[in-house]
Amino acid sequence: MHAGTSTTHDAHDVHDHIHPPPEGFVRKYVFSLDHKVIGFQYFFTGLLIMFIAGSFAELVRLQLTDPKGAIMSHQAYNTMFTMHGTAMVWLVLIPLVTGALGNFVMPLQIGARDVAFPWLNMASFWILPLAALILFSSLLFGGPHAGWTEYPPISLADGTAGALWCAAIFTIGISSTMTGLNFMVTIMKMRAPGMTWTRMPLFVWATFATALMNMIATVALSAAVGALFLEHVFNVPFYDAARGGSAVLYEHMFWFYSHPAVYIFIIPAFGVVSEVIPTFSRKPIFGYKMIAFSSMAIAILAFTVWAHHMFPSGLAPWLQLPFMILTYAIGIPTGIKIFSWMATLWGGRIHFTTSMLYALGFLITFTFGGITGVFLASVPVDLHAHGTYFVVGHFHYVVAGGAVMGFLAAIPYWYPKATGRMLSERLGQLGFWLFFIGLNGTFLPMHWLGLEGMPRRYASYVDFAKAVPDAVFWNQFETAFSFLMMASIGLLAFNVIWSLRHGKVAGINPWGARTLEWTISSPPPYYNFKKVPEVYGRPYDFDKPLPYRNTDNELDAFPEYGKTVMPTPQPVGAGV
Amino acid sequence: MVLTLLSIVNALYFLYGSIDWIMPGASQPVTDRASDIDGLFKFMAVFGGAIMLFVAGYVIYFAIAFRARSSDSPDAVGVQIHDAPKLELWWTVLPTLLLIVLTGLSIVVWYKIQFGTAAPGLTTEVIGHQFYFEYRYPGLKTSVFSKTSPMHLPVGVPVRLLITSTDVIHQFWVPEIRLKAAAVPGLVQNLNFTPLRTGTFDVACSEFCGVDHSLMHGKLVIEPVAAFKKWLDSENKTAAAAGGAINLAAGTPATGQALFAQKCAACHQIAPFEQKLVGPGLLHITDDPAHPALVTGKTPTPEHIAEILQNGFTGPIGTMPNRQANGLSNTDIANLVAYLSSLK
Ligand code: HEC
Ligand SMILES: [Cu+2]
Ligand SMILES: [Cu+2]
Repeated sequence: MHAGTSTTHDAHDVHDHIHPPPEGFVRKYVFSLDHKVIGFQYFFTGLLIMFIAGSFAELVRLQLTDPKGAIMSHQAYNTMFTMHGTAMVWLVLIPLVTGALGNFVMPLQIGARDVAFPWLNMASFWILPLAALILFSSLLFGGPHAGWTEYPPISLADGTAGALWCAAIFTIGISSTMTGLNFMVTIMKMRAPGMTWTRMPLFVWATFATALMNMIATVALSAAVGALFLEHVFNVPFYDAARGGSAVLYEHMFWFYSHPAVYIFIIPAFGVVSEVIPTFSRKPIFGYKMIAFSSMAIAILAFTVWAHHMFPSGLAPWLQLPFMILTYAIGIPTGIKIFSWMATLWGGRIHFTTSMLYALGFLITFTFGGITGVFLASVPVDLHAHGTYFVVGHFHYVVAGGAVMGFLAAIPYWYPKATGRMLSERLGQLGFWLFFIGLNGTFLPMHWLGLEGMPRRYASYVDFAKAVPDAVFWNQFETAFSFLMMASIGLLAFNVIWSLRHGKVAGINPWGARTLEWTISSPPPYYNFKKVPEVYGRPYDFDKPLPYRNTDNELDAFPEYGKTVMPTPQPVGAGV
Repeated sequence: MVLTLLSIVNALYFLYGSIDWIMPGASQPVTDRASDIDGLFKFMAVFGGAIMLFVAGYVIYFAIAFRARSSDSPDAVGVQIHDAPKLELWWTVLPTLLLIVLTGLSIVVWYKIQFGTAAPGLTTEVIGHQFYFEYRYPGLKTSVFSKTSPMHLPVGVPVRLLITSTDVIHQFWVPEIRLKAAAVPGLVQNLNFTPLRTGTFDVACSEFCGVDHSLMHGKLVIEPVAAFKKWLDSENKTAAAAGGAINLAAGTPATGQALFAQKCAACHQIAPFEQKLVGPGLLHITDDPAHPALVTGKTPTPEHIAEILQNGFTGPIGTMPNRQANGLSNTDIANLVAYLSSLK
């Protein structure tokens, strides 16, 4: 990133190669190299696809209001849940939590002017719409049907649509790997002077752990879908048992990626919660080191548990044992984190902003998803619950109740920094309650439906409804509640657009937060930091001055520097 | 206090209450393994429930007790503590101990499931097909198909199911037995258990296997040994009877048409050959210039069509199930052939 053009400013400072901002619409907003703009691009693309994938989910839910299947053929239904899962995982969650949040927040939090490889970053983003285009074009060929896992041999029946699915996943995998590499190098090499590893904000730790997993795990997925593509197009029998291949091989490679992928969504959410809870409790995060190291422990253990998705699928019986034990082991660092967040709340001065509500909601729903995860880790119980709605309920608690809630906590938190305006708290808090109630109403009943005998990926459930007549009621109940979540996301989109113009002006630090991004103007200038700040402590000591030297001049005009300027506290649930 | 009480209520409920609504058949275990698995489930429900109650309870309690008040000065801060090593030690050690106990219990049950069954008194093969299970019993000349008749097992006899598939991955699951195993092409897995009580139970496929995955359903009848033997004998007799000749001339197109809607329409349309569902369209089966021969390569005479209906056929399009799988009697075949031959 040394264009060699003259620097605009402070030529005597060795660190200060400030490049002039680009000119022209295209360089500024389309093919931008600025990590903040790229973050926005990820955000809006991800949100748009979230609507599409969410509508697919609503169609799935509507179909299940009648045991015979209310609105579409089995074939169409199978396409819907496949597209819902695929798009949510690869085109929504990963781009939103790594692409949007990681890009916007991480460089600001480490006091960097951009990521290490801005061109790579731009390329990573532009791969996303390309992959989306490939994936959605598969609908023209009937769409893929075999679920987001696309296990062969059944997925081989998808023909062209299946090949396009592979191509889309392979393509987005390139983006994930590049982003992982980019963020790792950025965090390792571009931290502000004095920001040692143990002074990094916890969101940066989370991004680091995520980047590591993204970089290592995605390759396995690319191999799995690459081989599937060859089988689709050239009939190379990697997975066809009749010709010497193995169907279980695909499952191993797929889950070697897709188990860590769950942590790729969830660890950034951990990072968000670790920022939001101290800020709105006016307290240092409890157990900084434990939280930071447990993220790394989870990231590493995540690579050792993949076959817990395959207990009944054809593992050697003895092999079930190590995977069960290692999966239990992940419960320990996860538990430590949850208890540390709870301890951070203790003795705090808790402000119920939208972000904080989402963070509190996260603690409850994510814990529930974690506990049901322990049920599934146990081989004997999994032999019953595998492949049922219990699993669907479990992972939606983790993904929607964990990753998405974390993301929804992040939006109101960093939106003021990104745009200079606050989101409406009223709409935000209403959105929280809709989401929280909708989520529990949709996914909680799935647990007992699954244990009672309802397999997942069922376009109709006539026989099951005969055995368990209540199933019809519960399915309709879930469908009704799922629309609350949809409404909440709609409200968020409205809020995001409306507040761009009408939101309250945010100022530098509306939350009295203490990480580096809150020391520069909102929105930050193109170069982020006029002077590279120096760091001499952790960011979470609310009773001390900020641990930074050499911060921007802008800050001098900010009289409350080092103090908090929290808006007047609101009682519980205010603004709803 | 409230939380401890709630946890105790939760524990008592799972230990002594009826959990049949969440684990079907829990009060009267259908197999020896079912009661082991339910025990493990209850253990987790008791402790998992308690942890959940404590986390949710304290989050809500802290949020209320430590909320900022309007009397606070705007820059009031909370208690500035960074850690409490003793507390952290406790909340690391206690869950670890709990997980170690859970690991121990899980291993015991797992060992019983995988290695603990007495030498099987009956070994039955379960073969997954789109979209039915086929069961092969020792000594029985033909298979039993879940589409047309239930699987039968004798009570009190240790059984071993050998599970595989001929097309895609399926999963054999009987919720009341609590066990499942994937039917994977090219791989044979086994499930071992001893049925403890008689009854009729649902069998479901729990791995996505294609369009009609959700219709891949059957029944399992667990019955006394004598009844099981009787059933096996009568299956053998029916199989022998089916060996008799088919009287094609006696078939009537109208009956065939009704039967077709019932048994064949899931895979075939009455439409030109190219309009495939799973199998080809059958409208012009006897008079299609583009396809003068049947998929078997033979001329479309009634005899040759009947042959396909009897034996099934696997070609480039897919698998046409045989008569047992489609549940066709000799008269059914005659009627269907009469109907198909009448189409022009
Ligand atoms: C599970 C799906 C399925 C069902 C049910 C099914 N078929 Fe088929 N059938 C097929 C397939 C697939 C083929 C083509 C096999 C090939 O050539 O690859 C076929 C082929 C045929 C053919 C030969 C067509 C030709 O042009 O040569 C006839 C006749 C036929 N089926 C009749 C029936 C009748 C009658 C029934 C109802 C009892 C029936 N099928 C039920 C899948 C099915
Ligand atoms: Cu996993
Ligand atoms: Cu199936």
